[in-house]
Amino acid sequence: MRAENYEARNHPPSHEFEINFGPNHPGIEGNYALKVRVHGDQVVAARADGGYLHRGFEKLMEQRLWIQNIALVPRICVPDPAPMEVAYSMAVEQLCGLDVPERAQWLRVLQLELSRLAAHLFTFGGHAATTGMYSPMFWGVADRDLLLDLFEELTGGRVYSIYNIPGGVRRDIPEGFLDRISATLDYLDSRLPDYDNLLFTNRVFVTRAKDTGPITQAQALEWGVTGPNLRATGLAFDVRRDDPYLVYDQLEFDIPTEQAGDAWARTLVRRGELQQSVRILRQVVERLPSVEGPIRAPIPNPLAWKVPVGEAYVRIESSKGELGWYVVSDGGEKPYRVHIRGPSSMHAVQVLEHLVTGARIEDVAQIMFSLDACPPEVDR
Amino acid sequence: MSEHPEGHVHGRDRLRNSQTVGEILETAISFERTARDFYRDLAPKVSKRIRWLVEELAEEEQRHFDLFGELMQRDDIHAQIQARIATPAADNKFSDCIHLPDLGDDPDDQTVLQYALGREHAAMEQYRELAQTTAPGPVRELFIFLADEETQHKAELEKLYYEIVHSGGV
Amino acid sequence: MGDIEYKKAGSILNPLKSLSFFTRPAVTEPLEPRRAALRYRGFHLNDWEKCVGCSTCQKVCDNAAITMVRVPSLPEDELQGIRNLRPAIDYGRCCWCALCVDLCPTGSISLSREYVHTCTDDELSSYFVLPDPRGMHNEHFGEGWNKTPENDLIDPRRQAMGELQAEQRIDHFGEIVHGYDKQQAIIEASRCVQCGMCHEACPTHMDAPEYIRAIWQDDLEEAVRQIYNTNPFAHTCGRVCTHRCETACSIGKRGEPIAIRWLKRYAMDAFTPEQVRDIVGTPQVAPSGRRIAIVGSGPAGLTAAYDLARQGHQVTVFEGLDKPGGMPRWGIPEYRLPYERLDADIAVIEAMGVEIRCNTWIGRDISMEQLREDFDAVLLGLGLQLGRSTRIPGADHAAVHKAVEVLRWVTEGRAFKVPRTAVVIGGGNVAMDAARSLARLQRKTFGEVRVTVSALEDFDHFLADPEEVRESDEEGIVILPSRGPQECITEDGRLIGLTTLRVMSIFDDQHRFAPRYDETDRQLHEGEMIVEAIGQMTDTGLLGEELTEALEWSRGRLQVDADGRTSQPWLWAAGDMVHGPDVVHAVADGHRAARSIHRYLTSDAIQEEAS
Repeated sequence: MRAENYEARNHPPSHEFEINFGPNHPGIEGNYALKVRVHGDQVVAARADGGYLHRGFEKLMEQRLWIQNIALVPRICVPDPAPMEVAYSMAVEQLCGLDVPERAQWLRVLQLELSRLAAHLFTFGGHAATTGMYSPMFWGVADRDLLLDLFEELTGGRVYSIYNIPGGVRRDIPEGFLDRISATLDYLDSRLPDYDNLLFTNRVFVTRAKDTGPITQAQALEWGVTGPNLRATGLAFDVRRDDPYLVYDQLEFDIPTEQAGDAWARTLVRRGELQQSVRILRQVVERLPSVEGPIRAPIPNPLAWKVPVGEAYVRIESSKGELGWYVVSDGGEKPYRVHIRGPSSMHAVQVLEHLVTGARIEDVAQIMFSLDACPPEVDR
Repeated sequence: MSEHPEGHVHGRDRLRNSQTVGEILETAISFERTARDFYRDLAPKVSKRIRWLVEELAEEEQRHFDLFGELMQRDDIHAQIQARIATPAADNKFSDCIHLPDLGDDPDDQTVLQYALGREHAAMEQYRELAQTTAPGPVRELFIFLADEETQHKAELEKLYYEIVHSGGV
Repeated sequence: MGDIEYKKAGSILNPLKSLSFFTRPAVTEPLEPRRAALRYRGFHLNDWEKCVGCSTCQKVCDNAAITMVRVPSLPEDELQGIRNLRPAIDYGRCCWCALCVDLCPTGSISLSREYVHTCTDDELSSYFVLPDPRGMHNEHFGEGWNKTPENDLIDPRRQAMGELQAEQRIDHFGEIVHGYDKQQAIIEASRCVQCGMCHEACPTHMDAPEYIRAIWQDDLEEAVRQIYNTNPFAHTCGRVCTHRCETACSIGKRGEPIAIRWLKRYAMDAFTPEQVRDIVGTPQVAPSGRRIAIVGSGPAGLTAAYDLARQGHQVTVFEGLDKPGGMPRWGIPEYRLPYERLDADIAVIEAMGVEIRCNTWIGRDISMEQLREDFDAVLLGLGLQLGRSTRIPGADHAAVHKAVEVLRWVTEGRAFKVPRTAVVIGGGNVAMDAARSLARLQRKTFGEVRVTVSALEDFDHFLADPEEVRESDEEGIVILPSRGPQECITEDGRLIGLTTLRVMSIFDDQHRFAPRYDETDRQLHEGEMIVEAIGQMTDTGLLGEELTEALEWSRGRLQVDADGRTSQPWLWAAGDMVHGPDVVHAVADGHRAARSIHRYLTSDAIQEEAS
């Protein structure tokens, strides 16, 4: 914790004391520090201090060739790596004027939606665990493992796919892959009643999550909240619909919203998105066999590749919100500057401090998880 | 290109319809000796640039000369030394090649090699013919052996010819 | 699935439904190791026979996880582009991204389906691995992510070089090759992975990776600078070099090698000789006071001249013919190397202060003794200017010529009687040069080509470059392999042709030259002129008898040490006359001789000689 964030206060020692929530805490998706000052079990003040997962990606990327960065970028967000890959590639494609073949775009949607499913399962599990329910957590992680199996089959890597390359994707689908996706989707569909029973319609969970960490729509818009957190306040804004990329304009899906803006609403939105992702994936599985063509546009020798001067901003709807990538090229072999707007950057700092202040101590972790605040993408 | 123009029909008086093995071997030995001496005499006369070639040729002939000397001492050959062998009347190869050509004032490496090749070819053919007209036995074996020696020698020279003449810039 | 029930308050009973899990079969995970997916990115495998040690994997690895390690027992062949280096992986750094696999030029490295490695603290070094075909623990788990057309990031195709077609080029001596334009050159240069095999294979170790990269950067001045580090015959080599570099190129292992020679041509063509001079700079050293005589203005002599002049020595080159350049000018036809390009190379050399005196025959106009007296060192670069003859019957006829001679006439533009029909004896590049030159003259004079080339070798062992053979064929020249010349036939004193016999075999089973002819297969080839292109030798007559006796010889050539110095301490020899076989080797020779001469001239030995 940096010295300036430590405020010495004159207060009666027995009424208020400071607790460190993090940087190591099972209730956080990663490493993050939240110093909370509590009065009894009520939080009276909170100070977020990230940086524990600062690995220097934006600077590292300046020191690596454009091609080398494809191996680096998935690691920026651990639970949902695919949007990072796709956004980087899309930014480079914009700078180079590369046309991504149609089949590659469908394959990217496939990867993104599978990643969304995996991330949401992870988040349900995490959210459940912060309310003391570990079974859904185990279920979430176990069911996510099946999606990781699919990633392993498609890309050779379970978590960090490194599947995207500027111009398209690296491999096409293996034999019988679409059937296995369908089987996994069927399985997930069959599991949803189990999740509903144990988690979503669980009186205990509902009571815990309702009215916890509420955000109004006005506040959300003012604070730069995006993704399920924003949709839980009633605004149906989704980059896939409102600023379509890849082939989302050819797909049918709804934008689930809720009105209350609390942890319960946020969870329900994610539950709805899970269903919509399954729906999208079924459409992709059906369309993919008839989409022909190469899986990537040709690029120069990666060891002798200069990207034209320019800047590109790409935004993608990740599981956590609007992910923005800003890439600047000075015409050289390495990026001049990369800046990443991780959606959790907005959620995990001031919003989190605000929501946690006045909450009870046992809800601190729940609020953070309900925001799906992912420290790796805050710190990068 | 390994053909050398035939030498004169010289020394016909050395021909007979038949010769003894001993006489044939003597002729062969003197053939080698004469060649060796020819090359030895030639060496200082040629440019130092190609002297190595002439010296090598002289050495080869010396080796053959020594070899033939040893063969003459072999018991089974020695026993046949007085045996007579019919030699074809037109056979004059040895004799011709004992006659030493004039290679000119400053023969170059190609000229020397062409001469040497011609010599080896003549020797090779001579021994082959002798082998054919000899009854099976140690003498016949000897002639076959000598024919092979000369053939091998000729092959070496042809390789050398190719290396020297058919090279450079090609 | 529709909306969720109990949205407002949740249900107490629903969670109990999960008790039904007790009735469901348990999920069982097997104890056996789980098989990874077919394209899993696991530990590395490397096929040591395919791998050439080019280090491209090391270059692309974004974690600097790869170190190239020397394995002395593996084969090494500079000329074929094979190094005995193999990649070693630090699994503390590797992230298994498989970019090494995608970029490997030979396709030797791949990732396996193996993914488990355990060790104690003492065994941490076991994370540093030298992958081989068997697998990290000597157990093969199967190949995972490997190179397929989908993920291969190496483009095997070369930028095509435009050329004049046969009909467009047959009646003139204009250059056949068009050269690259800027876009082609930059794309071609971008294919290079900077492995450096070209540098090692080049006889004079040109800084090819550097000039290729400079061309890619569109910094042609830098390219010229890099080229001139090792080769002042840049225009020449950019057109006619035998490109050993391209033979060694890693990309050439599975695809078409980088067009290193054409890239050199492209860079050089962008500048005038004056601009090249300014790029390489004129010597800024004080004159040494030493004088060097160079006999022969070919690539060996002039390269040495360039080096020595830049070191402050006074260099005089003596050339017997009326223009400098040696074989590149007088032997190589213009359609391969335009004279103005050679002139440009020579102009840069002269700009260093080298004096070239043409029409001056050493041995006739000036003796070697005189050179020895007037100069501190003498370098012979005499080349192979005398053509050999088959000396078959009739070869002494006036219309039978050596190829060297005919090519010289064509270069000097001498008006000679162009034969309506011609036969060329020989199967090397010189024979092709002679044939194609005569073909052009015939086409211009008579409107048709009637040239026959007769060679001892069969097409599998042809000495000429395949491109020469193909282009000659396109130009209407008849090439007859496996024929041995027998006699030049005359009729009424006029030469009418050459008879040949079919060659049944050239080499015996021990690969020695032992041609066997089929006496029954004799052909007569029409020719008013016969050109012999069977071989060449050096004319060392200029040395004179005394010097010839004083020098040491080795199988017909001047004996020289590794630097080209003869047994006479003041005399060096370089180029075709001692080594060969082409321009770039002559350049390398010239550099070696110049270094040796410079060492001698700045050593104590020469001070003693002077005193």
